[in-house]
Amino acid sequence: MTLSRRAWGAVAALSLVAGLTACSHDSSSSAGGGSGGGTYTIWDPYPQFDDSSDWVKLLSTCGAGAGVTVKRTGYDTTDLTNKALLAAQQGNSPDVLIVDNPVVSTLAEAGVLTTTADTKIDTSAIEPNLLAAGQLDGKTYGIPIGANTLALYYNKKVLDAAKVDPATVKDWTSLTAALQKVKAAGKKGITFSAIGTEEGSFQFLPWFWGAGANLTQLDSAQGVASLTLWTDWLKKGYAPNSVLNNTQTTSWQEFATGDYAFGENGTWQLANAKKTGFPYGIIPIPAQAGGTAPAPTGGEFVTAPVQNDTGRYATSEKIIGCLTNADNALTTDTTLSYVAATKAVQQKQVAANPDLTVWVQAVGAAKGRTSDNLGTKYPKISEPMWTAFQAALSGGKQPQEAMTAAQSTAAAATK
Amino acid sequence: MAHDVLTRAGVAAAAPARAPRRRSGQWAAWGFLAPVVIYLAAFYAYPLYRNLDLSLRHYTVRSFVQGGAPFSGLDNYRAVVDNPTFWPAFLHTIVFTGVSLIFQFTIGMALAVFFAQNFRLSVVLRALFLVPWLLPLIVSASTWSWLLNSDSGVVNALLRALGIDPVNWLTSPSWALTSVIIANIWIGIPFNLVVLYSGLQAIPADLHEAASLDGATGWQRFWRVTFPLLRPVSAITLLLGLVYTLKVFDIIWIMTKGGPTDSSTTFATWSYRLSFGNLLPQFGPGAAVGNLLIVMALVFGLLYIRVQRRTMP
Amino acid sequence: MKTAAGLLLTAIMLFPVYWMINVSFTRDTDMRHDPPYLFPVHGTLEGYRAVVHQQLPYLGTSLLIGLGTVALTLAISAPAGYSLAKLRPRGGGTLAFVLLMAQMIPGIIMAMGFYAIYLRLGVLNTAPGLVLADSTIAVPFGVLIFTAFMAGIPPELTAAATVDGAGTFRTFWSVVLPVSRNAIVTVSLFAFLWAWSDFVFATTLDGGGARQPITLGIYHYIGNNNQQWNAIMATAVIASVPATLLLVLAQRYVAAGVTAGAVKD
Repeated sequence: MTLSRRAWGAVAALSLVAGLTACSHDSSSSAGGGSGGGTYTIWDPYPQFDDSSDWVKLLSTCGAGAGVTVKRTGYDTTDLTNKALLAAQQGNSPDVLIVDNPVVSTLAEAGVLTTTADTKIDTSAIEPNLLAAGQLDGKTYGIPIGANTLALYYNKKVLDAAKVDPATVKDWTSLTAALQKVKAAGKKGITFSAIGTEEGSFQFLPWFWGAGANLTQLDSAQGVASLTLWTDWLKKGYAPNSVLNNTQTTSWQEFATGDYAFGENGTWQLANAKKTGFPYGIIPIPAQAGGTAPAPTGGEFVTAPVQNDTGRYATSEKIIGCLTNADNALTTDTTLSYVAATKAVQQKQVAANPDLTVWVQAVGAAKGRTSDNLGTKYPKISEPMWTAFQAALSGGKQPQEAMTAAQSTAAAATK
Repeated sequence: MAHDVLTRAGVAAAAPARAPRRRSGQWAAWGFLAPVVIYLAAFYAYPLYRNLDLSLRHYTVRSFVQGGAPFSGLDNYRAVVDNPTFWPAFLHTIVFTGVSLIFQFTIGMALAVFFAQNFRLSVVLRALFLVPWLLPLIVSASTWSWLLNSDSGVVNALLRALGIDPVNWLTSPSWALTSVIIANIWIGIPFNLVVLYSGLQAIPADLHEAASLDGATGWQRFWRVTFPLLRPVSAITLLLGLVYTLKVFDIIWIMTKGGPTDSSTTFATWSYRLSFGNLLPQFGPGAAVGNLLIVMALVFGLLYIRVQRRTMP
Repeated sequence: MKTAAGLLLTAIMLFPVYWMINVSFTRDTDMRHDPPYLFPVHGTLEGYRAVVHQQLPYLGTSLLIGLGTVALTLAISAPAGYSLAKLRPRGGGTLAFVLLMAQMIPGIIMAMGFYAIYLRLGVLNTAPGLVLADSTIAVPFGVLIFTAFMAGIPPELTAAATVDGAGTFRTFWSVVLPVSRNAIVTVSLFAFLWAWSDFVFATTLDGGGARQPITLGIYHYIGNNNQQWNAIMATAVIASVPATLLLVLAQRYVAAGVTAGAVKD
């Protein structure tokens, strides 16, 4: 009959579609393969590098050295955590996962990652302050590929016109005085990122820690002082209102227009700094009472997610070892504009480029956000913290009020 | 007569049929529906079930990956309702959706009537009006962010040139919601324009002629003849617009991230923020908010069916 | 006179699009210039160069996925619309309501659910998988449009076919479909546009695929620490061109598509 023919036709059509799609599926799922050949998947947060880039070529070389083919995918870094969790849930984890360091504790707690003891990766040469971000309850879950941190870029032309000597900027008072002079000379003071995401917290922490405050007590006098510094700058017009929505990129773009004296930004902008067309310099972020403020460590960790087939770890370890060995680390960190994670390679970097001395020192003084055994408590503190400075900067709350509210939220969440 | 047909078109699927049904006709009918039903079951039922499951259990990142999350009943929902963000998010969702719909619809209708007059270049211009629709949301939302930037945005530059104080469109709690509404209206106009224009095309010209012969002015013609005839199309446009607007989150997320301090947070952005927007995902509450959103849409859907039933001839 | 008003209105509406084009030609250092440049004074083509070198395969994939979505959507929704409009199935009203409800589910929830299904079916990270996912955006809407449209087809037409001895399918294929050309074009247009600009499904279900659509191609310019805005906008500009052409061409049919034919006295 026509009708049943129609119905069967529909079913047949659907089966055909399903069959075709199934046949065309990627043959590189990580279920197969032992140590003798096969495909290993690597996920990284560098979508700006495509297959022709040095980074991907390095991954393939390391894979070939371990006797396997590498299939690499670059994801947007803010998305990578969720992708990793979803994949782990479905048993589809990649063999090597490169993630931003504050996320390592979250993934470790979810049981997604193996420890370096499991995979026998050697982390002995890594600087302890850089390794701390990947440690939870005494176990290490990955190895840093390099580190970056924040410092103050300054525009020599603007400072000269305002008759400010950058060498005199040593603490908060002198910095604010410099900003005042710059504004009086008709230029703009400082730009940074105070957006309501982890990026904003990243930029706020040098000031927070520089006042001597501790993440477990957001509303201490020092914590409030750091927030007051920012709100005062905004009120007096030393910092623009757009900081509330600035990412570090858009903050850099503001600095790159040449109208700003200072821009708080990271190592990765070094290449861009040379393109701006005006003479620039870098000073470490000053602490409240002088000295270098501890800045948070940025940079990614190379980790090995848990696999059903534990035989794969040997090869993953070889790949990771290859990626992080001295020579490759030097090349990678130079490409990414990061500081290396071991003293030996840091010295090589400085030898090749003396401008990096300031950065190496800054990284030496830096702290992991999830260190001090904060681990997965950190995200629960970071979110109230960024809510607090967003509230204070947008004029909704006074700094003390904002921080007190943030502390009660954080305390409740980390009980 | 025309009115009857249009109404019928609008309610054909929603109302129970009156004609007697033959047995074999039923098989044929459901045979044609088989693909859609399989499709619905496979692709809508499962995600919905997953989301419900996420909201009824206590999930940590560990149990999300490893399984074994304990059943926690309505705890997530209670936590969500008790959260201080709940009422502001609810209010903003209503305001965002309501204001967007009103303006999108009105402007879409006005433009549809305008373009129905078929002047020179009207076809090309009408097509150009649809361009905002083609752009990936990340691009449209980012473009609006740039336009509305407090310091380097064109809108503030214009205000300054006119001697008005610049407004902190995206960074002020009082203006953030307005800014995202404006961007959303802009993105929604093309859809309304297309559907309403088609509806207008379906109204025979002789009706308008008859009305103007009777001495009706342009406005009277619109209000007394065109608008009532467009009712079923308007209803469907508004309902679809509502369903789509409730789901909107990309625009708000990219422009303001729901801030500052939740001043532009709606249920959609809140759900995203809970599940994906921070370093430690909270899938349970995120799914709960998502489900509340679906329930809201459902309520309006039921209202629509109720209204349609009442206007059935 | 009306043309002038039309041009003005279009100009206002398209101003943000103009801005997008403006940014695509702007140098990185001028991005945040205060006051903003209304015209790319120090123009640069580096964004476009990057796009032409890297994005063309993505455009091709987007096109394929768009066309695939159209085909699948039509195949599923046209018969369903016919059934609901003409064949009076019991429970048809409920089904229509369920379809309406189906559109209320936020995309990210759908995407997460699909991930598991796709992994089992083996279609994760493939273009056909994305076609399937993108069609879920368009199918409920398609059914709605087809139902409304086909309900307005005069019963005399289908009655004549039955008298001539045609079965249900034959009537559908040879009589109803040709008359529904406008609805077909409308649904096709919506399906194509929605698939073209989809991002949520693309990133969740094809994030690691060998063939990715243009919405993911943009992420090449969104690095972990840096974004290349002129390239992003250039991608959007170039991606809009084929879609705009399609729009202009399809306008004639879409105009008559949604409810016309419903009024054939």
